[in-house]
Amino acid sequence: MTQETEVIRQVLQGDIESFRIIVERYERPIVRMIRNIINNKETCEDIAQDVFFTAYRKLASFDPARGNFSTWLFTLARNKSINTMRKKRPLSMSELPENSDTNNPSDELAEKEFLDDLDSKLNSLPLTQKRAFVLAEFEKLSYKEIAQIERVRIGTIKSRINRAKNELEKALKETWYEK
Amino acid sequence: MKSEEIYNAWKERRSQIDIRKNFADEVMSQIYRYERRKRKPLFDVNRLIELISAHRFVKAAVVTTGAVTGLVRIMFVVYAFLGC
Repeated sequence: MTQETEVIRQVLQGDIESFRIIVERYERPIVRMIRNIINNKETCEDIAQDVFFTAYRKLASFDPARGNFSTWLFTLARNKSINTMRKKRPLSMSELPENSDTNNPSDELAEKEFLDDLDSKLNSLPLTQKRAFVLAEFEKLSYKEIAQIERVRIGTIKSRINRAKNELEKALKETWYEK
Repeated sequence: MKSEEIYNAWKERRSQIDIRKNFADEVMSQIYRYERRKRKPLFDVNRLIELISAHRFVKAAVVTTGAVTGLVRIMFVVYAFLGC
């Protein structure tokens, strides 16, 4: 029995505080995933909070035989993100933390421009491609796990990720040659 | 800067997130609130007493209702007694 399954069993037996272990373990990946999908810094933590609350309420329905707990949690996060995006169109992405080690202002500016171009490209990808890409590249989930979350075949996920990567590569090269 | 470096820098930038420090606390308080609500009985006498004593008008309404009910009951008893 994994440590996670043990924690879930304790929560289901009434030890509510044990759920904090799950929240603290997954808060960053879940917030990051939602933020990368919906592009709204302000609401992503509220949605993530809702994801954990729903996970707590539905914990009894989690079946370890059907997949990992993390896959189940990411599926909840995916569904909440889709619902939020249906209600409200995403905002533009210009709020991510900037991290640059370069001292030369022109280099810094050029790098920022490259990164912003990639942001815009990611935001313009079809949502299915974007979700698959985010789960694979930022959350490091396997194709199998992503296929479970998206409820499609592994081949479909591979092709979505490849197409997303190609688009981003194209955008990067275009910006690169323009400079 | 090579394009691969830019791509990695971009991924690094998007991976950085700041979560509010009390995020887990907020989730846990939401869960505890939910559990308290769930466990609260449908009819709670103490809560009803609290509710009545907290509002002047509710208090007056309860006293009036009690007085009227008492009077009606006395009238019924008198009527039944005289009727026989």
